[in-house]
Amino acid sequence: MAELDGEVARPGSGERVILWSLPAVVVIWMAAFLLFPGFVPPMSPRASATEVADFYDENLSRVRYSMILFNWFCVAFIPILMLIAERMRGMAHRTPVLRYCVIGVAGAAPIVFLTSTVFWLIAAFRPDRSPELTLLYNDLAWITFTCGVPFLVGLCAFLALAIAYDAQERPVFPRWVAWFNVVIAVALVPAGFAGLTPSGPFAWDGLVSFWVRNSAIGLWIVVMAVALRQAMDREPGPDRGSSGDPARTEIGAEA
Amino acid sequence: MSIVSNLRADPKRELWFAWYSTVAFYSLYSVVFFGLTRTQPPGKPWLEPEQTVEWFAGRQDGLLVGFALIFVLGGWSATAIALIAYSIRRMSVSRAFAYSYLVLYLIAAVPGFLFICVAMTVGAMRPERSPEAQQWLYDLGFLSFSGTMGVFLVGSLIWMTAILLDKNRVFPRWFGYLNLCNALTEVVIAPSWIFQRGVLAWDGVIAWWIDVAVFGTYTGVFIYLLREVIVRDDFGRGPLPDAPPGRPRRWHPLAKVVR
Repeated sequence: MAELDGEVARPGSGERVILWSLPAVVVIWMAAFLLFPGFVPPMSPRASATEVADFYDENLSRVRYSMILFNWFCVAFIPILMLIAERMRGMAHRTPVLRYCVIGVAGAAPIVFLTSTVFWLIAAFRPDRSPELTLLYNDLAWITFTCGVPFLVGLCAFLALAIAYDAQERPVFPRWVAWFNVVIAVALVPAGFAGLTPSGPFAWDGLVSFWVRNSAIGLWIVVMAVALRQAMDREPGPDRGSSGDPARTEIGAEA
Repeated sequence: MSIVSNLRADPKRELWFAWYSTVAFYSLYSVVFFGLTRTQPPGKPWLEPEQTVEWFAGRQDGLLVGFALIFVLGGWSATAIALIAYSIRRMSVSRAFAYSYLVLYLIAAVPGFLFICVAMTVGAMRPERSPEAQQWLYDLGFLSFSGTMGVFLVGSLIWMTAILLDKNRVFPRWFGYLNLCNALTEVVIAPSWIFQRGVLAWDGVIAWWIDVAVFGTYTGVFIYLLREVIVRDDFGRGPLPDAPPGRPRRWHPLAKVVR
């Protein structure tokens, strides 16, 4: 017997509203990305304290506005991730363990972005601060932003495993989504090592740590949005999740 | 019962995945903190700014590589938390306990271990930074790591309360009280925010050595007990049955004697 929170999305549940917030969130993220003068092109880890201080001096308004925008909306992705977590109720799992894993990292991942915006905004708060301190805050922001991939890697890995374990005739997400998540996880891994070198493809402004990593996150959002929408369209009705599939037992369905 | 067969065909495969990941995560954690970065046992809180410059310079590669590994694999900490949250869900208590534990420990992830990774990486990547700035990063790293207290304090109390109220026999009652010991380590560490020297400083005999002994014991015990829970779990709602008879109790030090 499924309890109220064991049931899946139905018209009027509000899930479509959350789903359709995604295009707006994507536009805002793109705007923040392009507005921040330190992303296109990415700031160099080789810049001296004076150069970094000059950068903030010259671009003060754009740094502030872009990071306030990103501070507001980096966490707007959490409701979308919760839609994915909700779809996981329909998976042929016997326990909610993998869903708990996804909920956990889904909460932590945007907080890492949030923390990086705090450091960028502090760096811009007092342009008359000593260049040494501005460099320090700038480093903290870039390392947090670039290297802070553990929860994104975990998110992709847990989702991939959850999909692989979803052994039923009509799985919630098709198998290729699992492989796609593995590829994205692999693409994110090198960014974690950005602190090791100030130059080359693995530096925080490099091809791998900046462009591949951020493109992978962008691609993940687009592809998972499509897969999520298809999964939501496929859901037959309120019965699902409460009976039928013998692999699904009460703990997994209701938790 | 090999790892591969556990993770492929076993009906409890999600639980086994979470359990093996828990073991792997805590092993990685030990290797990174005690071995690669040598940030445990921690540096001295009373170092002068110039000495912190030397401290960073003396372990630059270890800090950068070690914390890079945490940057990549730190998300696996979620598996232990998810498994413990599931163990609480399996109890007769309200889901509120499980969700509280899940949320508390995941909040802990950012101040409790991401901050030390960021601070130490930033310190190690520019050894030429001014001594005052290096000392600031040194303090941020160690104090955020050992001084993130409340989430673990309340989280352990939540787990303890759930175990003591539980009627499904998921954990033995003595383990409930062991949670209290873990919660108390977060009280004992509090003076490290105040003292730079002595037994209560962040590297002190009480604040570090006793706390690590308690935390290490606690972690080893709950990893063992979680394995027992998985073996006993029948996916039902009532009391957990005893371990299936005749099943080899691997890794139990008294396995041969017991059988």
